[in-house]
Amino acid sequence: MILDPSRYVAPGVSGPQGFKPIRKNIYLPVPAQVREILEENALVRTFVLEFDDPLVNQEFTYEPGQFMMVSMPHCGEAPISFSSSPGRAGSFALTVRRAGRLTSAMHRLRPGDTIGVRGPYGRPFPMADLSGRSLLFVAGGIGLAPLRSVLEFCLDNRDDYGEITLLYGCRTPADICFADDLEQWRQQGVHCLCTVDEADDTWSGRVGLVTELLPEAGAEAASWRALVCGPGIMIHFVLSRLVEMGFPRDHLFTTLERHMKCGVGICGHCFFDEKLICREGPVFSMSELGDTRNL
Amino acid sequence: MTNSINEIEQAQVILVSGSNTTRTHPQVARRFFTAMDRGAKLIVIDPRRTRLARHAHIHLRIRPGTDIALLNGMMRSIIDENLIDDLFIQMRTENYTTMRDMLFGIDLAQAAAITGVPEKMIRRAARIYAQAQRSVICYCLGVTQHIAGTGNVQSYANLAMLTGHVEQEFTGVDPLRGQNNVQGACDMGALPGVLPGYQSVADPGVREKFARVWGVELPVTAGMTLLDMTHVPDSAASLQTATPAIRAMYITGENPLLSEPALNSVRRTFHQFDFLAVSDIFLSETAQVADVVFPAASFAEKSGTITSSERRVQLMRKAIDPVGDSRPDDWIVRELARRMGYAMDYDSPAEIMEEICLVTPIYAGMYHDRLDREWGVQWPCGGRDQEGTQYLHKYSFTRGRGRFEPARHVEPAEPVDSDYPFALITGRLYFQYHTGTMSRRTPILERESDQPLLEVHPEDGRRLGLRQGCRVTVVSRRGRCRFVVELTDRVAPGNLFTSFHFAEAPVNELTVEASDPVARCPEYKVCAVRLEEVETC
Amino acid sequence: MLDSFVLDKDHLLPLLRKLGKDYRLIAPVRNRHGDTLFTEIHDLDKVEIDLEHQPQSSLKPFFFPQVEVLSLYGLDRDAVSGATWYSFYPQLPENRPTVYFGVRSCDMMAVMYTDMIFLQSSEYDVYYARHRENAIFITIGCNRPFANCFCNATRSGPFLEHGFDIQLTDIGDRFFVETGRARGVRLRKQWSYFFRDAAEEDKRAQFQAALEARGLFSRLVHVDLVTRILARQKEPTEILAELSARCQDCGGCAYICPTCTCFTIHDQALDEDRGERLRTWDACTFSGFTRMAGGHNPVDPERQRIRKRFLHKLLHDVEHHGRTSCMGCGRCVDICFGGVDILRFIEMVSENETEPEETP
Repeated sequence: MILDPSRYVAPGVSGPQGFKPIRKNIYLPVPAQVREILEENALVRTFVLEFDDPLVNQEFTYEPGQFMMVSMPHCGEAPISFSSSPGRAGSFALTVRRAGRLTSAMHRLRPGDTIGVRGPYGRPFPMADLSGRSLLFVAGGIGLAPLRSVLEFCLDNRDDYGEITLLYGCRTPADICFADDLEQWRQQGVHCLCTVDEADDTWSGRVGLVTELLPEAGAEAASWRALVCGPGIMIHFVLSRLVEMGFPRDHLFTTLERHMKCGVGICGHCFFDEKLICREGPVFSMSELGDTRNL
Repeated sequence: MTNSINEIEQAQVILVSGSNTTRTHPQVARRFFTAMDRGAKLIVIDPRRTRLARHAHIHLRIRPGTDIALLNGMMRSIIDENLIDDLFIQMRTENYTTMRDMLFGIDLAQAAAITGVPEKMIRRAARIYAQAQRSVICYCLGVTQHIAGTGNVQSYANLAMLTGHVEQEFTGVDPLRGQNNVQGACDMGALPGVLPGYQSVADPGVREKFARVWGVELPVTAGMTLLDMTHVPDSAASLQTATPAIRAMYITGENPLLSEPALNSVRRTFHQFDFLAVSDIFLSETAQVADVVFPAASFAEKSGTITSSERRVQLMRKAIDPVGDSRPDDWIVRELARRMGYAMDYDSPAEIMEEICLVTPIYAGMYHDRLDREWGVQWPCGGRDQEGTQYLHKYSFTRGRGRFEPARHVEPAEPVDSDYPFALITGRLYFQYHTGTMSRRTPILERESDQPLLEVHPEDGRRLGLRQGCRVTVVSRRGRCRFVVELTDRVAPGNLFTSFHFAEAPVNELTVEASDPVARCPEYKVCAVRLEEVETC
Repeated sequence: MLDSFVLDKDHLLPLLRKLGKDYRLIAPVRNRHGDTLFTEIHDLDKVEIDLEHQPQSSLKPFFFPQVEVLSLYGLDRDAVSGATWYSFYPQLPENRPTVYFGVRSCDMMAVMYTDMIFLQSSEYDVYYARHRENAIFITIGCNRPFANCFCNATRSGPFLEHGFDIQLTDIGDRFFVETGRARGVRLRKQWSYFFRDAAEEDKRAQFQAALEARGLFSRLVHVDLVTRILARQKEPTEILAELSARCQDCGGCAYICPTCTCFTIHDQALDEDRGERLRTWDACTFSGFTRMAGGHNPVDPERQRIRKRFLHKLLHDVEHHGRTSCMGCGRCVDICFGGVDILRFIEMVSENETEPEETP
């Protein structure tokens, strides 16, 4: 944790117990400026952000799979996963689908505006354990955002990882995010397969569910690792299918999304059975999840 | 209510009609569950499959606005099976023969066809209701907000009298009243034809009594209903022959520009006013168009009584001082009166209540100091030392004998047709209150329910290509309005349901102005609409 | 080994008066409407401290207020570029030294639980800490448990072994006094002239009171059994569904519960460019508690509305922290008008148990 907003905290009042050391205020966002906004599709935008304080900017680190709590004026806060690779210092990217009040407000931002952020929070993907392995990424819709962070991290450290395959499914061609990145990843040797549930005139690619692409991924069940992210029901079917294909459950990783308020394991919103997603997740191996029907 | 709420727990059969009780009267619903735990049977009459309907032993899922046909069918079945209470009919009622003759003309097959409820279920429900010793009827706005509202209510009364399920403890006919004090407002004469305590303005003795206390002469004729005041016919406005009937209006704690039916017509009427004053705790849609707004204090900032559904007058005590420049309603009214030349000289709400006790026989014992010591008192209460009344009509009905008033089925004012194929039902949600003036400013309530949802049956949804959460425009002959689709089998195919809480989707742009000819209660519960402009999400 | 003393009942008020000079004094006070609530006392002679009834609310609102301002925020606009600058100004609560007097065992245990949630989880909650840091607790054991109490079954009363600063036991015309944590010891020493050492007969009287109290619970509640059933067997989905369908969705159980710590954070605009960030109590029984932007809800409210509440209290917290987070105060039983309170759940699960099993 590099962000230390304690400098914003007023000096403590000394009581009869004497002066207390000031602890940092975990609920206090830090201003970050929007440097760039990329339009992924009609509903999804990527915001490239940097801290106003250059020192914070330099020292800030995070890992793929973690998230930030983002504040927008009058809208409260929402958790948003990093979609950028932590290797690329100086800024970070959050990719946001317009769904509620806060995300709609974000879509009205312009470069130069500031937002509030705190974090990073959550348990990241186990990048060290994945090193040396070939990786299968399976993403649905906006679920590609957190996997993009991992994928770009792998490309930044290309020698540490084996083959990389990405299976990407969207509802319609208009829902595809990171189209430019997909092209670039292909050029960098990533095996990318895309499919849509419902095609339109512009689409000449595959039509069908992403699970149908799994046999073509060329992933070796015993040695590869798989990372899955998308809508809960899609995660369930992909994970189940991968288990049928012989993947051990602890070689399968996913990242879950929940309603969150504090991000640090206190407020209680993000429960999944006895777990709190913000603290024990959002990244889980399938062996930790138990029943995945209700993701 | 003729009964007290607690008595419901002792009922053997509870017949609930037009009431989404778990959502709108949870404290009453709780008694239903307690009664069911003790073995009571629950019959629910509702076009919607509400949560209560899912708990019911019998759910009679009628077509909207067909209560009379159903009840006549049930009563015919009760006569057929000889389950009537002869003694009760003979001793306590009148006009039975007319009723019986009408019922002999009822055909159950036809009742089934009109209501959409199978004949067998009508018979079963009738048998269960009639056979029990203690059956209670609870109804709500699903019964009254129809052009046949009066006939609907009379039919429930007929059913209760036919089987002798009234005038006793644990059994009766119980309308569940709306806002916490709508009962109190009616009790205090907020009705066109009566003074406080349902004393008729047509009665010279009553007028004389009030005139002595108030020092003014009182009008002889009844006033106007809300519907007439807010919906002046278009023709009268366009002719410009005479000055409009109403030139100025003072509205307190109401938001008719969202809550009244056929908003187009309300806006047109308001447009003709020379002057509009509104007092409210927030700047409601109506307050926004007012010439003068009085900031009123909220319930927590003033003392006074509220009267609940079970006629219980309860004292509410001020918890905090009025915020900002706001003032209690009684202060605003008194100051207005004083500046208009009529001094209302009261030092406290308690002093006002003393006057109410003086002139209102049913409230004669409701002094504040007494209410302060007790958990409310149920009217009628004849004096300070008298107990309240747990249930009404013991020994006899208020009017003497209970009169059977045969009613015949009336189709809704605007039946569905090929242009407007859906019947739109309007109602309420749990986490929002009325036009949302207060609840939509309360973050947790707003979070629970922040969208104008339109309930659509999944079959209709499939047919029209609607997805959960997509936006759709609902169009009636009077207006259009945009909602968020919720696919659910709570509504029957062909029906739609939504609430009127949301200013961004004012459903009363769509509703009809038609009303019950007697009570002038508008038919909020049915209008014909179609769906347009589906936007996927 | 706890030190024990005796305080004559006649000396209680004088002692509190002394304490009131240095500390904010909070105690259960019976108001004129017959409600007993923990209330800040300004004038000891004008209030009736009530040790005969269970306080209707716990201490939770003092450490974790129902609504609390976390920070103010403001939005500045650059006149030229139109860019917005968004900044936060934290609002830390005061930390006045406070004596909480007449605290029941269950409520004291609840404070220890909430300490763990707010102060010892991975992150440290400065707001809770400020409210909490200068608090002293004078607890009182329950000689006569109240109607819905079952702290004997949750092992959080009717008397405490630890956690208090000072614990009182009513033994007739005097209180038996035990000092626990350091602040209690200090306080007792500071006002030592009010206390005398406990004699053998005082200790016997205290033991007798504690012994008799155990026999006075009107409800027999199988908390441990239910925890074991939940841990061992399949989730009682049908019982949870039946109770969920009955739940009236009011959130009262969570609000009244001394150990329910879930909250939401939201912004209250003061004008176009300024506002307050507030923290408000929340309840896991509300649909909006888990519903995500876009409408998906991982919890089915019809069948699972009360699932988290009961499993969290009776199972998950046992797994995480070694004990139930239900303290047996019984307040939720009183407040629930849907008839889906925790006692009903415990009863249904234990009755549903197929194999007979001995209770502890």
